[in-house]
Amino acid sequence: MTEVLKRADRIPAERSTPSRLPGILFYSLLTLVVIIYSAPSIGVLLASFKSTAEIAEVGVWTLPRDLNFDNYREAWEGGSAGTYIRNSFLVTIPAMILSITLGVLAGYPLSKLKFPGSNALFVFIVAGLFFPPQIALIPLFRLFNSLGLYDTLWAIILIHMSFGIPICTLIMKNFFTAVPTAIREAAIVDGANEFQILVRLMIPLSLPALAVLATLQFTWIWNDFLWPVILIRSDEMRTVMVGLASLKGQYSVAYGVQSAMAVYASVPTLLVFVFFQRYFIQGLTLGSVKG
Amino acid sequence: MSSVTFDKVVKRYGTNVVVRELNLDVADKEFLVLVGPSGCGKSTSLRMLAGLEEISDGEIRIGDRVVNNVAPKDRDIAMVFQSYALYPHMTVYDNMAFGLKLRKTPKQIIDQRVREAAKSLGIEHLLDRRPRQLSGGQRQRVAVGRAIVREPAVFLMDEPLSNLDAKLRVEARSFISKLHQRLETTFIYVTHDQVEAMTMGSRIAVLNAGDLQQVDTPFNLYHNPRNKFVAGFIGSPAMNFMNATVKQDNGNLLVDTGVFQVTIPARKADPFRSHVGKKVVFGVRPEDIHDAEFQPPGITPSMVEANVDVVEQMGNEMILYLEQGGANFIARTDPRTRARVGGKLGVVMNIDNVHLFDADTELSLSYEAKMKEMPIGKSK
Repeated sequence: MTEVLKRADRIPAERSTPSRLPGILFYSLLTLVVIIYSAPSIGVLLASFKSTAEIAEVGVWTLPRDLNFDNYREAWEGGSAGTYIRNSFLVTIPAMILSITLGVLAGYPLSKLKFPGSNALFVFIVAGLFFPPQIALIPLFRLFNSLGLYDTLWAIILIHMSFGIPICTLIMKNFFTAVPTAIREAAIVDGANEFQILVRLMIPLSLPALAVLATLQFTWIWNDFLWPVILIRSDEMRTVMVGLASLKGQYSVAYGVQSAMAVYASVPTLLVFVFFQRYFIQGLTLGSVKG
Repeated sequence: MSSVTFDKVVKRYGTNVVVRELNLDVADKEFLVLVGPSGCGKSTSLRMLAGLEEISDGEIRIGDRVVNNVAPKDRDIAMVFQSYALYPHMTVYDNMAFGLKLRKTPKQIIDQRVREAAKSLGIEHLLDRRPRQLSGGQRQRVAVGRAIVREPAVFLMDEPLSNLDAKLRVEARSFISKLHQRLETTFIYVTHDQVEAMTMGSRIAVLNAGDLQQVDTPFNLYHNPRNKFVAGFIGSPAMNFMNATVKQDNGNLLVDTGVFQVTIPARKADPFRSHVGKKVVFGVRPEDIHDAEFQPPGITPSMVEANVDVVEQMGNEMILYLEQGGANFIARTDPRTRARVGGKLGVVMNIDNVHLFDADTELSLSYEAKMKEMPIGKSK
């Protein structure tokens, strides 16, 4: 018995020795990638605490002389960051919820209630992913103009809801397909109708997919610059990304204020990632069928 | 509690016929097993009864009610799935309560029924767990529990034991048999395992390629198969078959397999007389081939010498793979048999129990005659 235990203990040690060198290379490479990817964020963060004079004098890449929150105050009060962020939320939350809801409603029948032509319909919906949204720029501009939605947040909401349908349908359909059909049939025999199956089984089982979609959609819509810049004219309707860009005009070289605004703009996305990370649970369906 | 009737039920997928004119009466409180190889239509038949597949033609009745166009939830059935199909995000309690909640059953009644069922299944301590925290056997019991609490008129089970390991499966067999005795409800049970069918069913329906082959008690099915398929499907190791010709010699009937000849006892010969000179299939079960040395008393023996290919010592018996003149057959003999691989062994066949099948129709020649002798008699 002790002989066996000793041998078992020895195995990992023997294995790790030859793999040490590739390990060092691998982690060096990872560190390098992390530095490259985080450099812009670090730069912005450093600049946001510096005065314009300090940036002009020593540049961005030094630690700020003192922790100076003037830029943040300036961005919030002078640059109306509060209004921009509120507008961004007013666009992002409804558009995200609507596009995911439509994706769920389209994905469920396409995966579990096949009908003649459902595959063709699926391809038709997903094909939307392959068109750059800019193709529809001028028609949509004219459409919203004639509907009287130009310079309203409704225009942006409707656009992101529609452009979100393909990806939401694709992900939800694939996720629903992975839910064993026997579970749906068990619920049917138990007396559930399709709506109850969707709400009480399929949606709770697809929380990981919903979390992924919520994160994706939130980030895309929040970070969108194109549509608000085209469809919004007045300052009080601007979303945070357009507001951030517009700061350039108001304060010709105000890097510090702009950086502070960029930090404001990135906080919600960051929080969404932190929050939904908990729901990225794999294998929620484990154990329902033979595992 | 309810009877179930399949009346000329057909299932087609396009031009592909999966179930062909199935006629089957399941009596109230009966335990009927649908058995057959994969693709025989047994699961499809069960799923049509459950309402998970549409019926292409014919009628299914539960009690006196035609259910062709009745929604599954209104058929008063409950089903246990092969994969158990438990709801992974719900506790065991909620899994069992789900159907009752959907039916807006009062909370106290749900609670009472779930706890009673859990107690009877020995899963009371698991009610707060989720399916992934359970072992295979426990999941299987939860799936059964989910069916029980609904108190259905008919229980449907679609290969509920095939995901269990061999030991658990034996335990679960008796557990389900006891459940049937306790609940006194109609059970319809689908399996591809003829041992499950034989041990659990009060009657067994054998299907093959969409056709019902025979419905009868396990005893009758085993001792008087209606055709060659049933004879070969029921019993393990399977019945030995050899092509043969029926010959007449001095008023005695002989079956000539080309390798050996056996004489049919006069009292058994009548059903075979019509086939004198014709080709037949000769069938004998492994346990009707004995080592000549340990030949049991009271049988009508016919001696054959055979080469021993493989010997499987089971302890309580011995399985011999024999060969004679190019014909291979299996014998289940006394464990003391002194057979050596590569050696020769004198074996005797018990002629009382041989079966002859028409070479073309594959129907048993003695089916009708034997049916009259069956101790249990033919249930309808």
